[in-house]
Amino acid sequence: MTVLRVGMCPGLSHDLINALQSAGIRTVEHLVSTNIEELAQKCSFSYKIIFQALMAVRRVLLAQHTAFPVFGLDLYEELLCSTAILSTGNPSLDKLLDSGLYTGEITELSGGPGSGKTQVCFGVAVNISCRLKHGVLYIDTSGGMSAGRLLQMVQAQIPGAAEQMAALQRIHVYKALDAFSLLACLQEWRAAGLQLMSAGSSVKAVLVDSLSALFSHLVGGRQSNAGMSMMMQVAGELKLLSKDFGVAVLVTNHVTRDSSGVLKSGLGHSWSHVPHNRVLLQKVERPGSHTCLRVAELTKSSRQPCHLQEELDISYSKNLNPENQPVTS
Amino acid sequence: VSCISPQRVMLRTVASSSLAPSVKAKLIRAGFCSVADLQELRPGQLSKEVGVSQEEAAEILKTLHTDALPVNDGGLVARGVTALELLQREQAQGSIVTFCSALDSALGGGVPVGKTMEVCGPPGVGKTQLCIQLAVDVQIPMCFGGLKGQSLYIDTEGSFMVERVVDVARAAVEHCSLLAEDAGNRRKAMKEFTVEKILSCLFLMRCHDYVKLLAQSYLLPSFLSEHPEVRLIVIDSIAYPFRRDFEDFSHRTRLLNALAQHLNQLATQHNVAIVLTNQMTTKVWNGQSKMVPALGESWGHAAAQRLILYWEGARSSCSMTVTDKVRERERERENRECSEPRPNKWLVELEESFCPHLTCVLLYRLAVLSKSSRPDGGHCCHTRSLWSAHTPTP
Repeated sequence: MTVLRVGMCPGLSHDLINALQSAGIRTVEHLVSTNIEELAQKCSFSYKIIFQALMAVRRVLLAQHTAFPVFGLDLYEELLCSTAILSTGNPSLDKLLDSGLYTGEITELSGGPGSGKTQVCFGVAVNISCRLKHGVLYIDTSGGMSAGRLLQMVQAQIPGAAEQMAALQRIHVYKALDAFSLLACLQEWRAAGLQLMSAGSSVKAVLVDSLSALFSHLVGGRQSNAGMSMMMQVAGELKLLSKDFGVAVLVTNHVTRDSSGVLKSGLGHSWSHVPHNRVLLQKVERPGSHTCLRVAELTKSSRQPCHLQEELDISYSKNLNPENQPVTS
Repeated sequence: VSCISPQRVMLRTVASSSLAPSVKAKLIRAGFCSVADLQELRPGQLSKEVGVSQEEAAEILKTLHTDALPVNDGGLVARGVTALELLQREQAQGSIVTFCSALDSALGGGVPVGKTMEVCGPPGVGKTQLCIQLAVDVQIPMCFGGLKGQSLYIDTEGSFMVERVVDVARAAVEHCSLLAEDAGNRRKAMKEFTVEKILSCLFLMRCHDYVKLLAQSYLLPSFLSEHPEVRLIVIDSIAYPFRRDFEDFSHRTRLLNALAQHLNQLATQHNVAIVLTNQMTTKVWNGQSKMVPALGESWGHAAAQRLILYWEGARSSCSMTVTDKVRERERERENRECSEPRPNKWLVELEESFCPHLTCVLLYRLAVLSKSSRPDGGHCCHTRSLWSAHTPTP
């Protein structure tokens, strides 16, 4: 619903806009959906002005604001040259996600407290920064970011100190402590371009940890319209970011139990349609000591069959990809 | 960077701004969907087009302008830091020691500043004692490795005992004065580190129900701006006001999640450590029952770190010999003062164990770090009575 303004297209003069406003037409949408003859009768314009000016203006505005259809073949070729698959650093998780995170898609990771979502996010960030040497934008909403842990994981992958510092400099951390700041952050990035945000290294992934900390108290109540609309706007921004800039988006979420006691991801039904792939993490119930193993289940995917399960090791203490050579300085 | 380039403002939508929903609805109905549409308008024009008063229009334009500013100037846009800078900041920041080496090593040096930590445990295990110890430890001068900060104690259960704080403070001062004998600057710092000073830097607030607690938490930002030296906030306990008189559990969950996010925001923006105390509840699952932290599953995501304290095994056998000694002293004490009726068994055991005259280990506890920023932090550490608030005999 764009407001009609002078200079939007040739022929849209100040007098014409005033006349339209007095007839109640303020936006482009109104103009292209009204019947021009009825409008003529209401405004008592002369026939010449109607047919030449208004029809021309209407045609131009329609052309400016319409979406164009694209051939499937062109779309496929564009996909082949612009999509990249980013490994998560964990071979079992890669197997579950059909070799990794795809750019242009949103992947959601959900799990209970202490199930390892933040550790997996750290693992992805460290892998992209150390091995693939690309930038990562990390949005931290709940204070779970620990740079000391990132350093530990980087040190397990790269031996030299200078290389480790360079890898840490490719990870950019933003703090968004409420829904408005998150939206402001995402819209800034879209306006300025992600490359400006990372000062040089091309950004390939955006991680949001965790989305549910911001929205779980805004949705689900009696007056949840405003909260739901903010959540859907964030979803829209993330999708636009991933498609326009060719980045992979990874989001974390909490879990709730429904009435029969089955675990399901939080944030409700509306959010469940947004991510392209969803993974549920659970602790392995082994009596005795604490273990670093988790079970990941694929609950939604556009490529793999659902309900595949894999066991993950989230300690990230040793080089988990033995076939790739470690980077030497 | 206070000027906003027009290109960056262009894509900010009205629907995503922090205006009230009714105002947003009026703006969208008038046809303004992005902030760029409003850029060239004066308040007078805006008020005419949208149908609001001129003051409201000026307010709207001011809010939209402030939103686009960076966070330091009151706006919403956060400036990012690289992980390297964050690492340097983290290493420069201290942590609050608990005077129990096993616990400190599990926590990575102590309770981290800038994060929230939750302490859960059955009644009588020592959560309040740990909080009192932390409220004193945060005030240790910097030359001893402390933070020289003040602390705020929010008490919801009425379990705060000033006498205990005096004991703990006295023991901490004695401990530090033993360390201060060799260095000059330490001796100077010890002059300021006295029991009176410790007590005067500990702020106490009492909240008796959840409404007061929520209201107090929203007043905390102004309190923290007035007292910038506060480095620790303790809420003891956060479970108690929320477990009474709540029929609608989903409402309670939403309130708790909002409070958790607000506390996280406070911890990050004002650089304070927040310690919350939680109770335990029994979960019946598949015919088995288990003790889990109270307040529900989604509350588990609230704190960045979670410490669960358990009793180790059957307390009777290992503490039998010790309780004999305790009973002796207690008989002595009873002969000296008139005895008060014992309130309940748990409380008595606690008082026995924290009798300031005893110097040795009393009761064994297990501490499990069930959630932390490092996955190996979940190991169990056996803690010997952490809060014997005096130096152990050499």
